[in-house]
Amino acid sequence: KRKGLQNSAEESTLKWFRELQEAAARCQEALQQLNCPKDAQTKKLKLELQKAASIPVSQISSNSGSQLREIFDKIDKLLSGRGLVSGGRTISTSQHPQGLDFVSYKLAEKFVKQGEEEVASHHEAAFPIAMVAAGVWELHPRVGDLILAHLHKKCPYAVPHYPPMKEGTTVEDYQRIIGYRVDDSGVEGQDSFLKRMSGMIRLYAALIQLRWPYGSKQGSAPHGLNHGWRWLAQMLNMEPLADITATLLFDFLEVCGHALMRQYQSQFWKLILLLKEEYFPRIEAVTSSGQMGSVIRLKHFLETSLQSRQIRPPKGQLNSAFWSS
Amino acid sequence: APPAAGAGPAGGASDSLFSHVSIMTAEELNQFKAKRFTLGQIPLKPPPTDMLVV
Amino acid sequence: QGEKKPADEDDKDDKAAQSLLNKLIRSNLVSNTNQVEVLQKDPNSPLYSVKSFEELRLKPQLLNGVYGMGFNRPSKIQETALPMMLAEPPQNLIAQSQSGTGKTAAFVLAMLSHVEPNNKYPQCLCVSPTYELALQTGKVIEQMGKQYEEVKLVYAIRGNKLPRGTKLHEQIVIGTPGTMLDWCSKFKFIDPKKIKVFVLDEADVMIATQGHQDQSIRIQRMLPENCQMLLFSATFEETVWNFAQRIVPEPNIIKLKREEETLDTIKQYYVLCNSREEKFQALCNIYGAITIAQAMVFCHTRKTAGWLAGELSREGHQVALLSGEMQVEQRAAVIDRFRNGKEKVLVTTNVCARGIDVEQVSVVINFDLPVDRDGNPDNETYLHRIGRTGRFGKRGLAINMVDSKSSMNILNRIQDHFSKNIEKLDTDDLDEIEKIAS
Ligand SMILES: Nc1ncnc2c1ncn2[C@@H]1O[C@H](COP(=O)(O)OP(=O)(O)O)[C@@H](O)[C@H]1O
Repeated sequence: KRKGLQNSAEESTLKWFRELQEAAARCQEALQQLNCPKDAQTKKLKLELQKAASIPVSQISSNSGSQLREIFDKIDKLLSGRGLVSGGRTISTSQHPQGLDFVSYKLAEKFVKQGEEEVASHHEAAFPIAMVAAGVWELHPRVGDLILAHLHKKCPYAVPHYPPMKEGTTVEDYQRIIGYRVDDSGVEGQDSFLKRMSGMIRLYAALIQLRWPYGSKQGSAPHGLNHGWRWLAQMLNMEPLADITATLLFDFLEVCGHALMRQYQSQFWKLILLLKEEYFPRIEAVTSSGQMGSVIRLKHFLETSLQSRQIRPPKGQLNSAFWSS
Repeated sequence: APPAAGAGPAGGASDSLFSHVSIMTAEELNQFKAKRFTLGQIPLKPPPTDMLVV
Repeated sequence: QGEKKPADEDDKDDKAAQSLLNKLIRSNLVSNTNQVEVLQKDPNSPLYSVKSFEELRLKPQLLNGVYGMGFNRPSKIQETALPMMLAEPPQNLIAQSQSGTGKTAAFVLAMLSHVEPNNKYPQCLCVSPTYELALQTGKVIEQMGKQYEEVKLVYAIRGNKLPRGTKLHEQIVIGTPGTMLDWCSKFKFIDPKKIKVFVLDEADVMIATQGHQDQSIRIQRMLPENCQMLLFSATFEETVWNFAQRIVPEPNIIKLKREEETLDTIKQYYVLCNSREEKFQALCNIYGAITIAQAMVFCHTRKTAGWLAGELSREGHQVALLSGEMQVEQRAAVIDRFRNGKEKVLVTTNVCARGIDVEQVSVVINFDLPVDRDGNPDNETYLHRIGRTGRFGKRGLAINMVDSKSSMNILNRIQDHFSKNIEKLDTDDLDEIEKIAS
């Protein structure tokens, strides 16, 4: 029987992580023909398919509900193999045997990148992006699995998983594995790294609580709040990492703390109490003086929540006025 | 096309919003019954519906 | 012809407008790796600089406020300026550094720290060149003081009319020099003798406006001798310096040189096209391949900008158009929406975006290359738009569209001028585009 905090995630978590990675890798391999086109025609088709998948995602914004529905419909059409008019031409995944897989893969990748780039600098962008992603996930579950695989690869903390350094791995490779950007000029700065990780965690926290309002609504969400419980529980069962743990717990709770509180009630408050009284001191113990910002933000959040016995709904959530716009 | 992953129960969590008591271990149930969680032993499965009030 | 504005007035409008637009578009600290130069009033007193906010021993509400804004550590200028401003007894300060380096956040923290919340009368005055700039500073005060509810703020600006005989209860007053002066002398809403901190922001913009200089000095003359005087400026010409010395007696002086913009940290590419339609197609392909949180696209004429914005919207992109005939408020509104991510592409003309700092935007696209009136390459504009400060800062991406022999020639001349290679990019090959962005 395990005792105290662990150094790695539970085996069941890791198994799930590995399976998603393997499946994504298989999907990628099966795309060879379309991914590395030999003839001009296939090359052109690839270009058009990729644009059809990624451009709508880049157009997601909190401008209006009708716009968001249009974007969703475009993506849904594409994934359903129906023709889509893009840039004056009709494009459909049926034009190539690997068309659908290719589009699913690119789409998943794009959702995650959008979180990494855009949510990192505009936290509220998490909601419209996650909303569309949740809707796509419900109708096309394999895109959902691919989203998870991409997310986990770019941000292992979304599993959460803290990959250990294996023998024979270079420092640079290891930095990449744990989420840093590394290029010939070196490894990216800590602030920029944390910003991107925050973006992806916020996207995930939004995703697990949202459902596309025009979906079937039958059955449970494909990747719902039970994963919010799982993520939080798994995080709190592991030894904290300096800087990262405090930053990401705060991001996660700010976005889906309210939803978790409503769903799991006293059990959720037990988590928060444990976090505040027993786990937080462990975070403080691994924090050095230059890293107090994230720790204080988390502390303030926990204190306010426990005092008021309330967690405020997140800023930027899409309300009914949005959907009628 | 086959599903991309064996999208089964993920990482020890059940696939629904609440766990069914029948799939939980005694330890997990004890954690949910207790006034407080024990550090390092929070169940990854979400609580059962009838244990939301402690 | 007769209606032409005199050059200096035009210039003034530009300065205040530019300063405002730059504030609005900014979401990050501007990185600067230069050393801070310090000139102390008393060269024998020890010089403190802090590496963390905790070292400042702030009130907990304020420390939370600072961290709540997402800050993690003091900026370069704040490392030195904050300990001076928070010292006891208070010290006067003149500080100069380019916009975006953290001056506003610094003096706001100083004002909030010096306020005695139980005293319900004005204790800090802050003057700004325009109403809009005052509002921006006010927002920072509100954010940083979010958990310090006893401290209140009021705007001394023209539209804000108070009944005669009013005595203000707010501890911080922020406004433009004229109204502030009236409130202190003519209307006596404020008792200047009780002021502990006086801040003059954007001194270089201030002196460009007729009358502001005198009004500021008249306010300053009413303040008690032990009032802390703080003056900030982005640039420091002779005129600013003379003014600063009249406002701030026995100052400490801090300067942070503007960092040279360089093309070293940016990847530059060009795309060969045959027409503006092809350029548009290339732009769409770029969008299909890379993830752009926000991009700015520069066109040569208003007409092209309008056309391009129209085409992009037709394709479903969220586009904002910034154009020269807009009033400052309209431009401000466009930039504000862009900064908040409502629109993700900002299309503008070369002229209209003059002076706007686009360092915040990760991708810059020259739909038309910048040229001067005679059709020669405008290297300065190119560098300002594409260049980045900070050698270790984040990297950017710049893509130039070339559609004729003459524009290729311009590109070559720009390339030669900076001795930096601009590589060719095939926008029909998404893998290639993806690579450049990773
Ligand atoms: N210590 C800091 N850490 C992170 N961001 C900061 C810090 N200080 C200021 N900022 C942010 O940087 C930007 C520029 O700061 P500001 O105080 O407006 O600069 P200035 O007054 O010199 O133009 C603002 O978005 C501000 O919130």
